[in-house]
Amino acid sequence: MTSSIDRREFLATIAAAQGAFVLGFWIPSRAEAQTKPGAVWYEEPATREINAWIVIAADDTVTIRIAQTELGQGVWTSNAMMVAEELQCDWSKVRPQYASANRDAREKAPEWTLNVPGTGAQDPSGGGVPTFGNRDRVGVSGIPDSLYRRMRTNAASSVKDGRYYLQLAGAEARERLLLAAAAMWNVPVSQLTAKNSVITHAASGRKTTYGALASRGADTPHPRPETITIKSPDQWTLMGTEQKNLDVPSKVTGQAVYGIDVRLPGMKWAAVKTCPVYGGDLKHYDFEAIRHMPGVRFAVQFPIPDPALTRGRIFSGGIAVVADSWYQAKTAIDKMPIEWDVPPVNAAFTTANMRESLLAALDRPGTVRASQGDVDTAFTNATRIVEATYSTPFLPRARMEPGNATVLVTNDRVDIWIGDQSPQETRFSASKITGIPETNVHLHLCHLGGGFGRNGNGPQAEHAIMIANAHRGTPIHMLWTREEDFIGTTYRAMGIAHLKAALDANGWPIAMDVRTAMQEGGFGPEASFHVTSRYHVANYRYSNHTTNFHVPVGTRRGVGQAAHEFYRESFMDELARAAGKDPYLYRRELLARTSLPYKQDMITALDMAAEMSGWGTPLPKGTARAIALEERGAEGDGMATISAMVHTVSISRDGKVKLERVDVAHETGFGLVNPLSVKKQIEGQITWFYNDAMHQACTIKDGRIVENNFHVFPLSRINEDPPVINIRFFPTKHWLVGMGHDRATSVQSAIGDAIFQITGKRLRDLPYGKHDLRWT
Amino acid sequence: MSFELVVNGTRHTLDADPQTPLLWVIRDQVGLTGTKFSCGIGQCGACTLHVDGRAVRSCSVPAASAIGKPVMTIEGLSADGNHPIQIAWKELDAPQCGYCQSGMIMSTLALLRARPNPTDADIDAQITNACRCSTYHRIRQAIHLASKLMRPDLGERVDRGVR
Repeated sequence: MTSSIDRREFLATIAAAQGAFVLGFWIPSRAEAQTKPGAVWYEEPATREINAWIVIAADDTVTIRIAQTELGQGVWTSNAMMVAEELQCDWSKVRPQYASANRDAREKAPEWTLNVPGTGAQDPSGGGVPTFGNRDRVGVSGIPDSLYRRMRTNAASSVKDGRYYLQLAGAEARERLLLAAAAMWNVPVSQLTAKNSVITHAASGRKTTYGALASRGADTPHPRPETITIKSPDQWTLMGTEQKNLDVPSKVTGQAVYGIDVRLPGMKWAAVKTCPVYGGDLKHYDFEAIRHMPGVRFAVQFPIPDPALTRGRIFSGGIAVVADSWYQAKTAIDKMPIEWDVPPVNAAFTTANMRESLLAALDRPGTVRASQGDVDTAFTNATRIVEATYSTPFLPRARMEPGNATVLVTNDRVDIWIGDQSPQETRFSASKITGIPETNVHLHLCHLGGGFGRNGNGPQAEHAIMIANAHRGTPIHMLWTREEDFIGTTYRAMGIAHLKAALDANGWPIAMDVRTAMQEGGFGPEASFHVTSRYHVANYRYSNHTTNFHVPVGTRRGVGQAAHEFYRESFMDELARAAGKDPYLYRRELLARTSLPYKQDMITALDMAAEMSGWGTPLPKGTARAIALEERGAEGDGMATISAMVHTVSISRDGKVKLERVDVAHETGFGLVNPLSVKKQIEGQITWFYNDAMHQACTIKDGRIVENNFHVFPLSRINEDPPVINIRFFPTKHWLVGMGHDRATSVQSAIGDAIFQITGKRLRDLPYGKHDLRWT
Repeated sequence: MSFELVVNGTRHTLDADPQTPLLWVIRDQVGLTGTKFSCGIGQCGACTLHVDGRAVRSCSVPAASAIGKPVMTIEGLSADGNHPIQIAWKELDAPQCGYCQSGMIMSTLALLRARPNPTDADIDAQITNACRCSTYHRIRQAIHLASKLMRPDLGERVDRGVR
């Protein structure tokens, strides 16, 4: 590979370009100089592909196209493993590359990827229960039978949704290589074996390599691809083994290319400011005041991005200043007089009045999501009633890489260099904004400096496309400041929950009434409570109550689930304490009383975590253990992920909290694709949720997000990482629902219960760090 | 205005305002993008590089402050990606998204120069870079491993001047 940018594509771009970006500016030597060795985007292969996922070069290098985005979760490696497992290629020769979102706009998925094999979540030979999700865009609703199916990277679903067709892609290619070898040697294909990129005919001792066969394989169709099957976990040889992540070497040398690192000839830089009150727009700006500043070229005003392009969310209008370097653009825009047109209704919001609105919403009739038995009568029979109100703040994603995108719009083509969790949606946005068809939109995908909830929710791509569209022919690299990133993100909705339980004389719940209030449009507002409580209670009612605020809420790691597991597990601790029972055994008994299909898996998780932690053994004064269950999907018999953790927490007398040790019991389901990545996800999410529980909150004043950089929105550092994390896996008999976003939610309730045990204070309002935690 | 910086042993003549933060001169004029921008206020450490052998948060110091002093970025740490810290990072598979890791590695280099055999308390006190993926558990192990790998050849590997 001499160049990671497809030069043919680039030359076509230049030929089509107008204005500043003229033919002849680009010369190959310059292309070499500007191309990053770590660039990972799609390129036309020098040799023909076997299928849309696989290209095999003569030297046996196997390029595997990845249609999800690497943002630290390990998909660059795990997706490749799923293909390579079936392909039976030499893993050391695998080179991932991002799939082309442009081809995805032009080509349909092969027929053999469309039908999920097997009989669902509890069939080890099958593909589980992929959900895909709806693309939620006008004109492209419904999923994709487009080439790469679902290119979104969200909802911890890359393995869950993609596994079966990625395995099929590898199997289809392997079968065609075998057929090509059989034809070449004129032997029955049944006499051939494929392993480690070598095909062997044992009877004659003949061998050949995938590299040598690649062009024949590309020419050999499979006569009946619908008959190809995928391996079940007992046949896996690569999947299920710990594999180091393929992107890591490039990330320890600074060579990995993120969106922010893209450099193009003739490129200009844009710094933007948008109205800090959502729904606001630009009223006035004075470009003349900064026109003379070094490097400054022009300004571009842009409107509130069309909500149809941002999943209905209303961000703000703004202004970009474009200059020769970003620092020049930023320095100039900081000095430019700007006035905002702020909607008074939105400017009136504060955290305090939003909290009042949520509390008021709780008192209005909500939407009843689950109702079992006769809750009201049961409450009249209670020996004791326990009530608690919990609250969780607005939380941004605050990924480390601020929003950015580099866009070149010419008269009939759009090129976008971006790290993006939803490239199909960005492709759609580009088409809507420029009027250029999606088939002429090319995304050059980069790694993401953190994701945590679909960058596609925010308007980074839309901003950059609008700016570049106003100056066609000039590549524009738009980069948000950290402060703008806090405006351009979507937030996890602020939430309040009121939980009320009727206990019998033995302390067991006979009725539970759960009410939650979250902003309309907040994601996953019903998770963990809908359908049924995971803990047995004969009479159960759950209603949610929404109200409208102006903050764009959306997906943020764990969505509503993370908040709701905090409410649920905190309340279980409170009930156990009220009943005078052990919180582990209390949970265990209430799980045992259910008829939930995966109750034994949940009990196993609790038992294992308790045993690992030395539950019940003495601890020094000022140290406590707390346990909680984590599950997603365990209300039914579909795909689910179940774990339990015991957190050992110390609190000094002056109120300093330390997570000392975490014992994790986690199911494997039928199998984990890359257990190393799973461990890394668990480890990372422990401190992620510690950070949420202890420190993080965004408040609203005059309609604005107050905490908008890391001096006021603290990030946990290495000193807050628990010194000891023990992880143990146990096998279960269903496919998992995902790993990327709601592991370790238990940290939240566990610290709360530890604070109660040590200080006697029961705190229900996150983050804990804002409370006085001293004790004597 | 033009001035000179020596970055990873190479002398660069730069046409920029010397009051521009060092980060942006390194990324946009010198063209080394391994050093990252994240907060812009010296809080997170993603922009950490070395000036005159000391770790500096380059978003918050002017390029002028590095004139006449050797600057080392992640790209200068090794020619082949196999500095002991990089080996340790790969061995532990430490990065997730990786965006903070250049800064994390450069801070680790400073720590290991000051304390070749750091305790956990040393690490807690000196490694103040932020990692949003919270890969800290593996970073701590990687620092201890790097310490073992580095001690024999410390001086030689880290003290680089103008070549």
